[in-house]
Amino acid sequence: MIEMRAFSFRYAGADRDALSNLNMTVDDGDFIGVIGPSGAGKTTLTQALSGLVPHRRSGDFFGSVTVNGLDTVNSSLTELALHVGSVFQDIDSQMIAGQVEDEILFGLENFGVDRAEIPRRVDKALADIGISPLRHRTIDSLSGGQKQKVAIAAILALRPKILVLDEPTGELDPGASEQIFRLLRRMNETHGMTVIVVEQKIMLLSAYAKKLAVLNDGVLELFGPVREVLRHSARLEEIGVHCPRVATLSNRLADLTGGALAVDLDEAEALVRGLLP
Amino acid sequence: MKGFLDYKPGDTVLHRLDPLTKIFLSVCICAACFLGEEPAFLVFLIGCDLLLGALGGVFDRAVGMFKGLLKLSIFLFVLQLLFVRSGVPLVGQPPFAITDLGVLTGLRLVLRLIGATMPLALLLSVTQMSDLSGVLVQRLHVPYKYAFTLTTAIRFIPVFANALSAIMEAQTARGVAFDTKNPFKKLGLILPLCMPLLISSVSRIHDTAAAAEMRGFTLRTRESQSRRYTFQSGDLVAALIAAALVAAGVLL
Repeated sequence: MIEMRAFSFRYAGADRDALSNLNMTVDDGDFIGVIGPSGAGKTTLTQALSGLVPHRRSGDFFGSVTVNGLDTVNSSLTELALHVGSVFQDIDSQMIAGQVEDEILFGLENFGVDRAEIPRRVDKALADIGISPLRHRTIDSLSGGQKQKVAIAAILALRPKILVLDEPTGELDPGASEQIFRLLRRMNETHGMTVIVVEQKIMLLSAYAKKLAVLNDGVLELFGPVREVLRHSARLEEIGVHCPRVATLSNRLADLTGGALAVDLDEAEALVRGLLP
Repeated sequence: MKGFLDYKPGDTVLHRLDPLTKIFLSVCICAACFLGEEPAFLVFLIGCDLLLGALGGVFDRAVGMFKGLLKLSIFLFVLQLLFVRSGVPLVGQPPFAITDLGVLTGLRLVLRLIGATMPLALLLSVTQMSDLSGVLVQRLHVPYKYAFTLTTAIRFIPVFANALSAIMEAQTARGVAFDTKNPFKKLGLILPLCMPLLISSVSRIHDTAAAAEMRGFTLRTRESQSRRYTFQSGDLVAALIAAALVAAGVLL
């Protein structure tokens, strides 16, 4: 479980809080999508969960962030890493090894995964992300999207209890983005992994996340089940988050007829058919 | 600099050598360069370097390095000609003569520079850094922290060289004349880029260190390495050749 209580963080030299008075509880097995305009504090939020804030980012930290009972201020990055696996936005800086296979092996060896188990974990992580053919490629020879997949595979191989991803599909095409989100859902449903993912593609979050957290100017504007949050499509538009069109349409219809919210095309079709005489 | 020290994947005889053997071989060639006095032997050692490049599938890179070092060598050779006063004058009159000893000293200097610089860079470009740190930890019992630091530093050389190239290409596209043939003008254009490159490099190293720590770097022990390294017959042959080169250097 993750708990943030009155959490605020201001980067050194900044004139305003990157995150301000955040109160949020994430239960085990949750799948949270984090969304918001640029500069809303999304990356700071993920870094607070992984411990980079405050251990590697200087600034003023107020309140508390606990991850599975560990206070992130008092726990080292490595202690937190036993619970939280993180995929950063800047993929290049996350690459430690020179070759794809070594990149996956690095964490597995460090965390003392059984030697007999390691090859299976590597095979599975590569296959799950669909990058088995890249196994012996050098990292420098990969495209941005391929590196992104390697970074995700390296973290998934560790099977953390909590997975935090900052725009994991930023350099991926729509098909590959869907593939990553399907995999995240599988890890969430079959392994009970808590997933917190920052993403700009709200359609993906609507389809796969259980809850949405909307940040704006460092403040948690909305937090709750996806349907509940998408009900506020007018407010979302105001702060620069574009709702899925079906949600916007069904919200307008709901205002007129009191109908339910639709978050995908099938639901929208059913909604409209229901309204037709 | 682009491509310098980049790992070249492959399955050549050099790729299959144990990383320690490769280090031993390159150290022996360096030692032979400094032990040998005969210019013909030093030329032979440069030939060995080029042969290593061919055997490792990095002949183009070896030739590129050779050409680059040759340019620097011409400058150093001329300096030797101008500053060595002893020996029999060949051209001009003392005190402004070029002497036979000046030519020989200059020749030895440049041949040694070329012969000794190439092998380590060539052999590192056919060695995975993870394998290098692996053998340093397993065989030489170097603490992983230091082995990782060394191999990461080596790995970052081409990364930063590529970053500099990318900046220069971007600047060239915006009209800055980085493609000038005048080396002094080019140096003048590169110098202002050094500070931002240094700052971004430090920032990247900082982030990579955090990423390593978040993947259990501090928990790693000598036993963590899952790969095991063993010497093969090829390693013995390479070690014998290396020892023979050192012996020849002592004799010649």
